[in-house]
Amino acid sequence: MPTITIDGKSIEVEKGTTLLAAAQKLGIYIPRYCYHPKLSISGNCRMCLVEVEKAPKLLTACSTEAAEGMVVRTTSDKVKAARRDVLEYLLINHPLDCPICDQAGECGLQDYYMDYSLARSRFSMADKVRREKRRPIGPNLVLDNERCILCTRCVRFCSEVTKTSELEVMNRGDHSYIDLKEGKALDNGYSLNIADICPVGAFTSRDFRFKQRVWFLKRTKTVCLGCATGCLVEAHHNENVIYRLVPDPNPETNTWLCDHGRLTYKALQAGDRLKKGVIKNGLIELEPALREAATRIDEARGAVAVMGSPWLSIEDNAALARLARDSVKTGDYCFDFNFEQGIKDGILINKDQAPNTAGVRPVKAAYGGISMGELAGRIASGKIKLLLTEARAAALLKDALKDSGTRVVVFAANRGEIPAGAYATLPYAAYFETPGTFINYQGLRRRTTPPVAAPEGVKPLWDVVNKLASYSGASLGLDSGDDALKGISF
Amino acid sequence: MENILLKDDVAGLEAYFACGGYKPLKKALGLTPAEVIDEVKKSNLRGRGGAGFPAGLKWSFIPKDAQGPRYLVCNADEGEPGTFKDRELMRKNPHALIEGMAIAGYAIGAAHGYIYIRGEFAEEAELLEHAVAAARAKGFIGRNILGSGFDFELFIHRGAGAYICGEETALLESLEGYKGQPRLKPPFPAIKGLFGSPTVMNNVETLAAVPAIIDKGGDWYASIGTGKSAGTKLFCVSGPVNKPGVYELPLGTPLRDLLEKNCGGLKPGKKLKAVIPGGSSTPVLTAGEALAVKLDYESLAAAGSMLGSGAVIVIDESQCMVGLLRVLARFYHHESCGQCTPCREGCGWIEKILNRFEEGRAEMKDIDMLSSVADGMMGRTICPLADAMAMPVLSFVKKFRAEFEAHARGETCARRAGPKA
Ligand SMILES: Cc1cc2nc3c(=O)[nH]c(=O)nc-3n(C[C@H](O)[C@H](O)[C@H](O)COP(=O)(O)O)c2cc1C
Ligand code: SF4
Ligand code: SF4
Ligand code: SF4
Ligand code: FES
Repeated sequence: MPTITIDGKSIEVEKGTTLLAAAQKLGIYIPRYCYHPKLSISGNCRMCLVEVEKAPKLLTACSTEAAEGMVVRTTSDKVKAARRDVLEYLLINHPLDCPICDQAGECGLQDYYMDYSLARSRFSMADKVRREKRRPIGPNLVLDNERCILCTRCVRFCSEVTKTSELEVMNRGDHSYIDLKEGKALDNGYSLNIADICPVGAFTSRDFRFKQRVWFLKRTKTVCLGCATGCLVEAHHNENVIYRLVPDPNPETNTWLCDHGRLTYKALQAGDRLKKGVIKNGLIELEPALREAATRIDEARGAVAVMGSPWLSIEDNAALARLARDSVKTGDYCFDFNFEQGIKDGILINKDQAPNTAGVRPVKAAYGGISMGELAGRIASGKIKLLLTEARAAALLKDALKDSGTRVVVFAANRGEIPAGAYATLPYAAYFETPGTFINYQGLRRRTTPPVAAPEGVKPLWDVVNKLASYSGASLGLDSGDDALKGISF
Repeated sequence: MENILLKDDVAGLEAYFACGGYKPLKKALGLTPAEVIDEVKKSNLRGRGGAGFPAGLKWSFIPKDAQGPRYLVCNADEGEPGTFKDRELMRKNPHALIEGMAIAGYAIGAAHGYIYIRGEFAEEAELLEHAVAAARAKGFIGRNILGSGFDFELFIHRGAGAYICGEETALLESLEGYKGQPRLKPPFPAIKGLFGSPTVMNNVETLAAVPAIIDKGGDWYASIGTGKSAGTKLFCVSGPVNKPGVYELPLGTPLRDLLEKNCGGLKPGKKLKAVIPGGSSTPVLTAGEALAVKLDYESLAAAGSMLGSGAVIVIDESQCMVGLLRVLARFYHHESCGQCTPCREGCGWIEKILNRFEEGRAEMKDIDMLSSVADGMMGRTICPLADAMAMPVLSFVKKFRAEFEAHARGETCARRAGPKA
């Protein structure tokens, strides 16, 4: 274990630790462009040069391993000059699109220029290298090669993380540019990470482009509920609108996000987002919809079934369990989901597309209930007159429901989720609109924090359930999501 | 003295054999690999590709306990402007290279060798193919060489036209079938080289000197030259001398002797202005410096330049230093692989500034800008190509500043004023 000194502070590090990582441990930041903790070392940008005593030249901190007794300086005049020079080289051919560039405000060039340079330009505008601008690359990205600093992070991401190798540096010297390899398209399911790791505005997200200046965005850490992996994310939002999701890197689950998960927030803004109830096919105000659903439940008493959903939080599932047991007073309820779980593609995407299969288990443990097979059997045999559940869960019983004559009442956030033939639909506050507890495939409990509010009048599902119960005259007394969690251990 | 490398009439195997060729290989196979390395260490043979690294020492870096294959690679990419010695050597004495490689292969425990030859050298590549085939037919290459149990197969691989592929790790990338771009070091090729295996790379001239060293002994070779700069070196002279060409001379020979005795002096009416002593990337010497310097590693270093590849570029008074530097800048700008920020952007920037000088658009402040752009490139990149651009810039500007100033003032330069050729 070598001990080294960086800027006068000494530290003992594991063999193989780079100077950049050792400095980071000491809280010393070394500027970098090509280095990325999850990608191979490329050493091309030369931004991380540091001075090492006895070494004849400056060394790249990202690639140099600590050796016993090394004395490293990260702020000497030589180092400062090298940083200034690298920035100058990077900027001479840069288009300086900042006013119209989405990266502005979180740009590696802008930030480091302010931190390490502030030099005046000595380059003649007329001599700039021109490159192709604004080229759509795949469904999610736009590439502006003129802004590219050729750090090759994007290339390494595609070859090392997704192993799809779509990108390559073409040509050489200052004619170099990023391009798709022949016959390739950039649609690997993780492509938006490239917009994140690109240190400048070369790769930008087609979804986010021109929507917001980043300095207006507020940041809320929450959980992606696109599948059972349950990645940690940061939602960027302003004035009650989410503009993008980015990963909140953590050692447990994720450095990256898949494109599907990253775009899940779009459902909130989709045209079919439900703000009212639906009876048969007609939209109806919330209160009458609720009353109608309650009436039908009362009417079918004795033949009502309730099913939880792996797409709902523990709170919401627990509220449904309470409703079944204490208000509707039926034994026909089911919290029995056994989807196969595990990372499907070696990266992030889970075999289980539902976010909370593991989170329904403690509800089942607390409340019991019948199995999915038993419920399907009872529905198919015509014993169930009304089924109350969440829309995507209802789809699991599609076969049993066919020709069963069962009336289906569902909770749904978007109209597109409603199964064909549903009798009534009640909207509820979606993932990004209300807090909820989920358990991912590893058994990690994760709680969402809502970055935005639900549409006017739309309540969390446990609250809607509480209302349904009170319409039937048997109050559940749920004043918060936490109330619903009582008696459940997880 | 008698030439060791450049000999006439030894290109064919019969002729090479007749004057003692492949005897050293037999001798080497009777020694242990360590003894062969020691002999080469004793000879003080240094790399002739440009950097002058001691050959025996480089061979000894191959880890003794390394499992799996090891490789020997001959760098015959010869792309440095002004350099044309390896081509001459491969034409005149191909078997010295082949024999040298077999010996080096034995010394480092490599069963496979590659000659990576510049793409344009199509003729030489064919010639080498024939020579290797002839050597193989006689059992000097292939399985169980001369009954020793040592196997050594040799392949010729043609490059595709990039100067950067002469840099050793770019060459390895190219040889493996990838885009020719230098690798980040460490790891060095001796640890992780071709196909991830321990590899030694040497220049053509370095390897071709090995048979003579084994034949006559390291001490004999070390006695030629100046001691630290041992043996003979090929110098390729270009420019307005009466007899440009490749000359083999003991290291330490005065540059003046090379120009006057070997090359017959400058052409009538030409006056010496400057010499680039070791290939286009080495710092330029003024006429006075050049005529005082000896051609060996230490003397040229003391004079602020380098022996480099031994390419002596002679520049006379009718040449414009600004124009010459622009030619070099265009070359390095074109050949930069573009990985490293300072090299990718700096080479182009320098060329653009020089274009301004040539087009009469330069200002005085552009002179210092040239030096400062070059300064920012020096020693800060993955491979020395950036230095190869920076060193001529810094030395041209320092030593011929007046010509840059004249351009910035809009005066006609030496070339334009001189007689039209
Ligand atoms: C840009 C660049 C080009 C080079 N071109 C050549 C070349 O054409 N031939 C060569 O032998 N060495 C060349 N070299 C040097 C090689 O990297 C390497 O040092 C050499 O082949 C080692 O052999 P030696 O020790 O026998 O000299 C080049 C180096 C650089 C940086
Ligand atoms: S990449 Fe950065 S410096 Fe370039 S235009 Fe965009 S914000 Fe400006
Ligand atoms: S596009 Fe972005 S990530 Fe890719 S090389 Fe250019 S700057 Fe780096
Ligand atoms: S110095 Fe130039 S040629 Fe060498 S690796 Fe860097 S960019 Fe490529
Ligand atoms: S971060 Fe070290 S060279 Fe780019």
